Amino acid sequence: MPRYLAYRIVAMLPIIVGVTLIVFVVGRLAPGDPVQILFGDISNPTVEARARAQLGLDRPLPVQYLRFLGSLARLDFGSSYVYRGIRVSAIIGQALPISLALGTAALLVAVLLGVPLGLAAALRPRSLLDQGVRLLTLLGVAVPFFVVAVGLVLLFSLRLRWLPVSGWGTPAHLVLPVLVLMLRPTAYITRITRLSVLQVLGQDYIRTARAKGLPVSAVTLRHALRNAAITITTTVGLALSLAFTGALVTEIIFGIPGMGRATVTAVFQRDYPVIEAVVLLYTALFLLLNLAMDLAYAALDPRIHYA
Amino acid sequence: MSGARTLRLDRATIAALVTVALLVAGAIIVPYTTRTAYDVQDLTQTLQGPSAEHWFGTDQFGRDMMTRLAYGGRISFAVSGTAVLAHTVIGTTGGMLAGFLGGAADGVLMRVTDVFLAFPDILFLILITGVLGPSLLNIVIALSLVGWAGMARQVRAEALALRGQEFIDAARALGATDRRIVVRHVLINVLTVALVRASLDVGPVILSEATLSFLGIGIQPPMPSWGVMIAEGLPRLRSEPYLALIPSVVLSLAILALTFAGEGIAEALDPRSRRR
Repeated sequence: MPRYLAYRIVAMLPIIVGVTLIVFVVGRLAPGDPVQILFGDISNPTVEARARAQLGLDRPLPVQYLRFLGSLARLDFGSSYVYRGIRVSAIIGQALPISLALGTAALLVAVLLGVPLGLAAALRPRSLLDQGVRLLTLLGVAVPFFVVAVGLVLLFSLRLRWLPVSGWGTPAHLVLPVLVLMLRPTAYITRITRLSVLQVLGQDYIRTARAKGLPVSAVTLRHALRNAAITITTTVGLALSLAFTGALVTEIIFGIPGMGRATVTAVFQRDYPVIEAVVLLYTALFLLLNLAMDLAYAALDPRIHYA
Repeated sequence: MSGARTLRLDRATIAALVTVALLVAGAIIVPYTTRTAYDVQDLTQTLQGPSAEHWFGTDQFGRDMMTRLAYGGRISFAVSGTAVLAHTVIGTTGGMLAGFLGGAADGVLMRVTDVFLAFPDILFLILITGVLGPSLLNIVIALSLVGWAGMARQVRAEALALRGQEFIDAARALGATDRRIVVRHVLINVLTVALVRASLDVGPVILSEATLSFLGIGIQPPMPSWGVMIAEGLPRLRSEPYLALIPSVVLSLAILALTFAGEGIAEALDPRSRRR
């Protein structure tokens, strides 16, 4: 396992170089001069040259890229172009926990709902329940969640007045966003659970377990679900990434001060360092999630050995 | 064995295809039947609910919602159609060459796809349109850059499998050049995979465009897009819910139909992908 981990981390290096290179190049292609954005119009050429040198913009591009990498390694994303003197890391430090909390909450609900639903559907294939679950998962995948959000806000906030339209802080503010956000992960987990349980149920050892007279509950729980759990666990990683990116959009709808709002605000204000930092952070987060899931797969399934 | 002759579509797929066709036809035809353009304001006719004159009502500027929906459809279909076409061409070409040539070319291409696949889609789109500006061209470029890597991967796997096959060796033994083999044998055989993938990609690409436009960093007002219309209707959800609901329903219908149609076509063209 340690060798496999080392191999995976080395394999990740070219990806990290590529990702940072793309973000760096796009940042250079951005319209506008950082010196003018940060310091305003400077009429004195000496002052301007000093500012340029201070930002490292007088160096050749490869050097600038290496310095960019160096500051990223120190988790330094530079200063906001808009809020003078405020570090990008401070903006993110405030917004990121909210978004991660929202995504994680949605994932928890999705697992608690998706696994039993998928299991039930697999146990009675082609039943009404199975058909219903299939329709729901299809809707969960195909209907844009901001459309769902529109419907839910209309019903629960504006018509029934049970829940607040938008905002953040009380548990009531969490209900609708989590409800909206859990849809796609739930659909995904349900679908995978159903498929993998169906697959396990077709195996010989399930027939053996039934033949020796084990009660149905023991067969389903101890034999079927436990073996299907390997596949299900690894899909949780993808479900979590769905929840994290979905959170960005959901926040905008419900006025939650997380990363989504920080990002869209940054786009409107042309605050490029913030956009770059968000993209890099989430890409890194997803790479780590991927790695974690692969490791979990290896740890859970005794048949898998990585040399 | 020709794919066209054996193409059997089930009823759900046909219904989905008909829905897509109706939506596309509506997007093309409706603007000719209504007298106004999408951005013509009539401030004496603001926020009219659905009526005989304005089937889907008018918005806060008195613009006809039906006309805007149709124009929005034109833009959505044109943008995503172009993006899917572009990423299919790029992905197929790259994947085919990598799979067929192998070696260093293959290694390099795979590392490049790794990089593009590492970005979460929505954030890559935000990076391109957010930093470089949300022009129509940038939106199409961003959407194409998101889709090509997956396409290249799939086509490459197919081309790799073809490389070892006897009919390729036979063609070479007959003196065919690499170019001829790639065009006449490899391309024809990877085309099915590429088309299946492309038909599955249209729905997600429309959804991405709508999401970007909904966030305000895609199609820019006053140009209509379903995502833009939903976002514009949101503040009036309490008093005029139809403003956001109608484009929401149309967008969902389009994506649902495209998803069904894509899966149905994939199943018909490639029996291996049959769902359980």
